[in-house]
Amino acid sequence: MRYDATLKVNGRAYPVAIEPGRNLLSVLRSEVGLTGAKEGCDDSECGACMVLLDGQPVNSCSYLALQADGREIVTIEGLAGEDGDLHPLQQAFLDQGGVQCGFCTPGMLISAKALLDRNPSPDEDEIRLALSGNLCRCTGYSGIVRAVQAVAEQR
Amino acid sequence: MATAEKPFIRQDGKDKVTGLGRYTADLDMTGMLQAKFRYSDHAHARITRIDTSKARALPGVFAVITHEDVPDVRYGPFVQDRRLFAKHKVRYEGELVAAVAALTNEIAQRAVELIEVDYEPLEIVSDVEAALQPGAPLLHEEWASYGASEDVVREGNDCSRSTILKGDPDKGMAEADIVVKERYVADMSHAVPIEPHAVVAQWQGDRVTIWSSTQVPFIARSGVATTLELPEAHVRIVVPHLGGGFGGKCEFHYEAQVAALARVAQRPVRLVFSRREEFLAPDHRREGQVLELETGVRRDGSIVARRGRLILDNGAYSADAPFFPQLAAMMAAGPYKIENVFVDASLAYTNTTPSGSVRAPTAPQACWALEQHMDSVAGQLGMDPVEFRRLNIVKNGDEGPTRQVFEDIGAAETLERAVELIGYGKELPDDEAIGVAVGWWPSFGIASGAYVKINGDGSATIITGAQECGTGAVMALPLLAAEILGMEPESFSLLYQDTDAGPFDSGASGSQTTFNNGRAVMAAANDVREQLLDLAAEQLEANRDDLELKDGAVSVKGSPTKSVTIPELAEAAHGSTLLLGRGADAVPEMPASDAAGCTGRLGMESFLAPTFITHAVRCKVDRETGVVRVLEVAAVHESGRVLNPIGANGQVEGGVVMGIGMATLEGSLLGEDARQLNPHLLDYKLQTASDSPPIHIGWVDSPTKPGAGGPKGSKGIGEPPCVPTPGAIANAIAQVTGARVHQLPMTPARVWEAMQR
Repeated sequence: MRYDATLKVNGRAYPVAIEPGRNLLSVLRSEVGLTGAKEGCDDSECGACMVLLDGQPVNSCSYLALQADGREIVTIEGLAGEDGDLHPLQQAFLDQGGVQCGFCTPGMLISAKALLDRNPSPDEDEIRLALSGNLCRCTGYSGIVRAVQAVAEQR
Repeated sequence: MATAEKPFIRQDGKDKVTGLGRYTADLDMTGMLQAKFRYSDHAHARITRIDTSKARALPGVFAVITHEDVPDVRYGPFVQDRRLFAKHKVRYEGELVAAVAALTNEIAQRAVELIEVDYEPLEIVSDVEAALQPGAPLLHEEWASYGASEDVVREGNDCSRSTILKGDPDKGMAEADIVVKERYVADMSHAVPIEPHAVVAQWQGDRVTIWSSTQVPFIARSGVATTLELPEAHVRIVVPHLGGGFGGKCEFHYEAQVAALARVAQRPVRLVFSRREEFLAPDHRREGQVLELETGVRRDGSIVARRGRLILDNGAYSADAPFFPQLAAMMAAGPYKIENVFVDASLAYTNTTPSGSVRAPTAPQACWALEQHMDSVAGQLGMDPVEFRRLNIVKNGDEGPTRQVFEDIGAAETLERAVELIGYGKELPDDEAIGVAVGWWPSFGIASGAYVKINGDGSATIITGAQECGTGAVMALPLLAAEILGMEPESFSLLYQDTDAGPFDSGASGSQTTFNNGRAVMAAANDVREQLLDLAAEQLEANRDDLELKDGAVSVKGSPTKSVTIPELAEAAHGSTLLLGRGADAVPEMPASDAAGCTGRLGMESFLAPTFITHAVRCKVDRETGVVRVLEVAAVHESGRVLNPIGANGQVEGGVVMGIGMATLEGSLLGEDARQLNPHLLDYKLQTASDSPPIHIGWVDSPTKPGAGGPKGSKGIGEPPCVPTPGAIANAIAQVTGARVHQLPMTPARVWEAMQR
């Protein structure tokens, strides 16, 4: 049995018909066609699937798609400006060596954006705590933390 | 001195931060099916029956295959001990018995469960020491008939034995004033890239294209060609963005099984691993080790003899691990002056997931044991552990464990800089201490090739066989070509990780990309540079010897107005001259050694362009709970000359944090049935951003002689940063608690237990 829902993703409405057991990540990656959010663990441990739901970061692998009906979803594809300009966090991740393999990057950027939206000038401990739901195996987190600090300092 | 004077933004960066970049699991194709594997139901059993009829009958199933549906070929890089699917026996829980391709993942999973397999369970061998006992059940009864490299010394469950001998260790030990003997055990751990394995295969006629999350596309191609009995020209491996590897995606994995499914189904097929499968199935986890180390010293602190007995866990099949015993034996000897050495190392088959190269294979575990042992010996001597190392660490002109004479190295300097950076000797609270460990690691010289094309508008394209796994090594190749051609790195595009495009390269393994492919790209750039100069001589009607190429133009020396730009040359060449450089530099020769008394020689008897590393860590230990917190790390590396500081620092930061994880948390627990008890990230914990300490990085600049190392005298950089971290942490723990932790990882429970002894 499929249910109709409308997912509002990055400001665009997507009418979808989905089974109640489907998680938000799989619907974003297949029906909606946005593969920026990644599946790294399927049980909310790695954070690679993170998206913003009404401004709050959630692991979309562990969130039912139907629960997101009518709510505002922002994925990594929605971070850059409409003119294609990178969000300051995206640019800072590149400048500070915060990107290596890039698989954690979408979730990491979503977490970082959620942090700066609620706390524009976090200290290093607050940054590290806010990012502790996102696993990175490449960078040792140093470049990522530097990137968030750099953006916070600009504000 | 650095090539990158300004920050260098990697070309794949924008693709990655916008989420638009495609990884293998992101690929979709019309008519594409989903693959699932049927794994073994036992860690060790004889297969008596496989019946796939119910699975085949399930609507939506397009292909069900077993060993009967693929050529009966055994494969393996050193020992050909495995097949694509189990035939007579299963030897570990992640072994493949069958594969299914179906319309959806759900149907594929149901089909997998409908496959009936009958087994006759066999005695399980999961302990490496038990595996080598006389009378232990053999995992491979027919081992002697397997094809294998002739240098691999094998006997029953011992898949590869190597020894290193120097001098007369028994006599040396007898002459020692103090002898210390210890035993250490390291549990198995994993590479854990955040991207799980994924493979997509599609046939066009009798040719197959396979998109794979592999670190080694050419090795994957060769694996597919061997096991499916195809010419290599009929197999094309393409790697989309690769979400990390750390060795876990080296070797040949599931490309052939997915290609075989796609051939039967006559549809494209996609396989995407779950995190659980990522722990259980791939034949590339970090091997467990049992190490017995014995060192004899004189009262003045000089080391007169070392003996070691090492048993490494091979798992059920050998992957690339047969060269590990020789490598681990070198690690157990260490970068120290020792007059007499004997290390005997074996690789034992067990009923567990196969081992294979994971970032600096064998080294972090062996270094963890050796560097604790070094501190124990210093303790028996009543000598400061840094002073003991200072006395014994190798310097230029000293001999290694196989009498390799070191040249142009800066090992001692890494020690001095690291203790200085961490403030060794400073006053600390009584629950804190500083631990120090020294490590080393070879560079790997392997043939590698590249082309550099000058395009019609004067921009350029590098076509390389090299593979980017995230480190940025391929991304930095334009820096090397740009300097030679007097161009900007941004003027280069890169075509990479496609076996039909680039020349052979051994892939993102062995820290070899810059080391080998960097030289190839430089050679290709020099080749095309000569072509540009020839063309400019014609254009300028000048003597070729009077020309110089810089800042994107060729000019006559002394008359800068008489010049022609590269875009002008490209335009002039268009339609008449090809500007195409080809590069494949000679592989550096291995340094001389005396390995006459060594057995099982698999290329590690001397170390090419060795890297030396000292890590000094400040740790806090909670005596009530055994919880260890790493507060600060000083990581000083001698990697020859550093070419790209952002990239190099990124490797150290990531490697150190991986080393902290290995030291404190990361290890697989095995049940009595030899199944992993924690194959998921909830119980196999990685370090998080809040666990990771400040890391102070230092580089000792010590370029190799030309021809003895990588570009500009550089050495491999990617693997070494995780080598000494666990040992340094272990020594800090022992400094605080007065107790040595003899098993890795040093979990809170193990630290606490050690304190109770």
